[in-house]
Amino acid sequence: MNDQQGLGPSPVVEMRGITIEFPGVKALDGVDLTLRAGEVHALMGENGAGKSTLIKILTGVYQHSAGTVRVAGKDVHFGSTADSQAAGISTVYQEVNLCANLSVAENIMLGNEVRRGPFIDWAATRRAAREHLARLGLDLDPRSSLDSHSLAVQQLCAIARGMVVRPRVLILDEPTSSLDKAEVAELFRVVRALRDEGVAILFVSHFLDQVYEISDRMTILRNGQLVSEHRTSELSRLDLVQAMVGRAGEILADVSERAARVAAAEHDRTSPVLTAQGLGRPGSAAPFDLDLFKGEIVGVAGLLGSGRTELARLLFGADKPAEGTLSVQGDTRSPTPLVSLRRGVVYSSEDRKKEGIIGDLTVRENIALALQAGRGPLRRIPAKELDEVVERYLAALQIRPANPDALVRNLSGGNQQKVLLARWLATQPKVLILDEPTRGIDVGAKAEIQKLVTELADQGLSVMFISSELEEVVRISERILVLRDRHVAGEIHNGPDVTVDSVLETIAGRAS
Amino acid sequence: MTTLLTPLSTASQWGARLRDPRYLPVTGTLVALLLILVVGQLRYSEKRSFLSMKLFSNLLVDNSYLLVLAVGMTFVIITGGIDLSVGAVVALVGLTTAKLLIGGFPLWAVLAIGVLVGAAFGTLIGVMVQYFDVQPFIASLAAMFLARGLCNVVSVESLGIKHEGFAALAAWKLKFGEGRESWSINLSMLIAFAVLVVAFVILHHTRFGRTVYGLGSGAGGNAVALMGLRAASTRVWVYVISGTCAGISGILFALYTKSGFNLTGIGMELDAIAAVVIGGALLTGGGGFVLGSATGVLVYGLLQVVIAREGLQSWWTKVLIGVVLLGFVLLQRTLSARRSRAT
Repeated sequence: MNDQQGLGPSPVVEMRGITIEFPGVKALDGVDLTLRAGEVHALMGENGAGKSTLIKILTGVYQHSAGTVRVAGKDVHFGSTADSQAAGISTVYQEVNLCANLSVAENIMLGNEVRRGPFIDWAATRRAAREHLARLGLDLDPRSSLDSHSLAVQQLCAIARGMVVRPRVLILDEPTSSLDKAEVAELFRVVRALRDEGVAILFVSHFLDQVYEISDRMTILRNGQLVSEHRTSELSRLDLVQAMVGRAGEILADVSERAARVAAAEHDRTSPVLTAQGLGRPGSAAPFDLDLFKGEIVGVAGLLGSGRTELARLLFGADKPAEGTLSVQGDTRSPTPLVSLRRGVVYSSEDRKKEGIIGDLTVRENIALALQAGRGPLRRIPAKELDEVVERYLAALQIRPANPDALVRNLSGGNQQKVLLARWLATQPKVLILDEPTRGIDVGAKAEIQKLVTELADQGLSVMFISSELEEVVRISERILVLRDRHVAGEIHNGPDVTVDSVLETIAGRAS
Repeated sequence: MTTLLTPLSTASQWGARLRDPRYLPVTGTLVALLLILVVGQLRYSEKRSFLSMKLFSNLLVDNSYLLVLAVGMTFVIITGGIDLSVGAVVALVGLTTAKLLIGGFPLWAVLAIGVLVGAAFGTLIGVMVQYFDVQPFIASLAAMFLARGLCNVVSVESLGIKHEGFAALAAWKLKFGEGRESWSINLSMLIAFAVLVVAFVILHHTRFGRTVYGLGSGAGGNAVALMGLRAASTRVWVYVISGTCAGISGILFALYTKSGFNLTGIGMELDAIAAVVIGGALLTGGGGFVLGSATGVLVYGLLQVVIAREGLQSWWTKVLIGVVLLGFVLLQRTLSARRSRAT
């Protein structure tokens, strides 16, 4: 599609050598980005790659410390969002940032409304709004309130608002994350129409299919650095995913451990501990089936936003499934966190700091939390019993400092993760769902956590292991569920011939 | 200036509007108002018709100060805020007016100072809310104590106003009709009506007014700021408007009672809030209409009339208001629940 020869149309935005530092981190280091008129340009990268930082420099929210920004051939330096807008750059944010209680016309026109003296000329304003909507092929009543429309239409209204000032550049930051398929198609129709009018569009999304469908060119970032810029048609999905994920430098050498485990994986495969059938929830995860057997580690792989955490939350009951059944050893009650806890399914969340540990409580109190929750508020755990439990896990997990009265916020990330693990293990679970248990902790602690997980599985615990680091998923899992765009795209039985590359292929959607 | 008003549409369009979820709470208020009027007409019309110009005239004479307060409060509540200071400000303005008039200040200056005292309190709350990030509840609570305390500084006993000019203003009225059916329009009613019209035009026909609604759409007005509208100054102005209305209301109340007293208006802010909520405003912000609030004030006043006609003790008014308020809050809950399910 839209395949131009040579370098293509002249650049509207040229960012060169952009560098920005936040206290202690170089968020961007010498990044280039070129946007051309009449092209959809995708900005790709995993979380923390620097996509949103780069966008915020272009929209004037942040100021870069080195590098140049040229818009339409002129050097610019945006001191505020108003500067950026004045230069013809419009942004549509991920969440619809409009006023749901106001009318469609107001949301599109407010700030640029037609006035007569100090008063709004509503008739003219509504007419103008209708024209802007018509440009996007929408026929809405400008009087209707915004929240009477679907999210997709609201998103389109946001774009209509962005187009009122006739921008040269339109930035769409994850515009499709809350849209369904038909709505995405509608959005893309509009995006193509704007592209054909000569607007330069910067498209950010973690949905690979969409990026391949809509973009003409892409820039890939990783860890705040530019990886490369490509024609979309010239870059395979596998290469893209590899460029985004990169190769974590340190390869933990314990491959033998995995091989041994996989070889020894002769489980009783007759009666699963946990069975999900058609479990799903619109907007979070498409219906999926899953059997989890005793002593098994099932890895979950997929890009950010592919539905990994959503799947875990459904299994635990943190989000209520809209359809399907979940049975845990024959217990088919609909999952809620408390039901799950009582029947031995525990979930250690991705966001350790927000949804996991409680920093201002001691190690002992943090470990006691889930145990106490399972017993209900009235039956207090006897101090002696609790001390024994805490001692046992401090020793077993080698938590340091081995002081039950230390405040958890003073522990290192790895030890916080172990405290969290201890909390769930203390409830004697049958199924342990770990979401990114090794994120943000150092290499040694990572290896310890991985070892711990394999040992627990050997003792009969079933583990769902979710991680964005494919190496560790491949290393310790017996089976790997691959997620793409919110559905289970494949299941890989781990073995010697399974590598990070073969998993990447499935993630990229190239496998059979 | 006919373009200012929404073009009068056909009856069917009005019907559709009344059923629009945005206007449903106000429709509910109108239904409640009509219900009370019908019941009143059926029960209290032995000697002469309950429904009469006299009824409405008396209602407005007794409640014009509350109407002005409710209009100011509507601005604040649409943004999702609250202003608890207005009752105390009414008392302070009344007392200040009385004290200054006794002290021989010219009438026009006294009235201006009264309104400015209210505006000053509003500014104080607005700045605290916007720039010091204090919750509106706490900021206006502090202002309430401050105003109430200052009342005692001005005077601890009731001050009667015997100023001639002031008495003339209070007594001025246009009379209509004859004998027992006669009714009148006094100055307070005209002022309250003017405040209502100005507020309506500001809210519905200026960018500022629409920004007020936008501020109430959630996320602390973040959307408004991202849309490039003046979120910060608008939020301050909303409280200034409420304070100014409290100042005007204080003068109206002084005209009504011809005195200033440090214990007036205790709980008056809650009456105003109740009227606004009965009038269809959402306490969470984002919805509400001054015309709805005005209807709420009428409902409030009518309930008092009904209680009096029934020969019940006046505290039954509070019970009835409580019941009505509960009904409206439940109506709003169901409406907003249905709306969030619809989207």
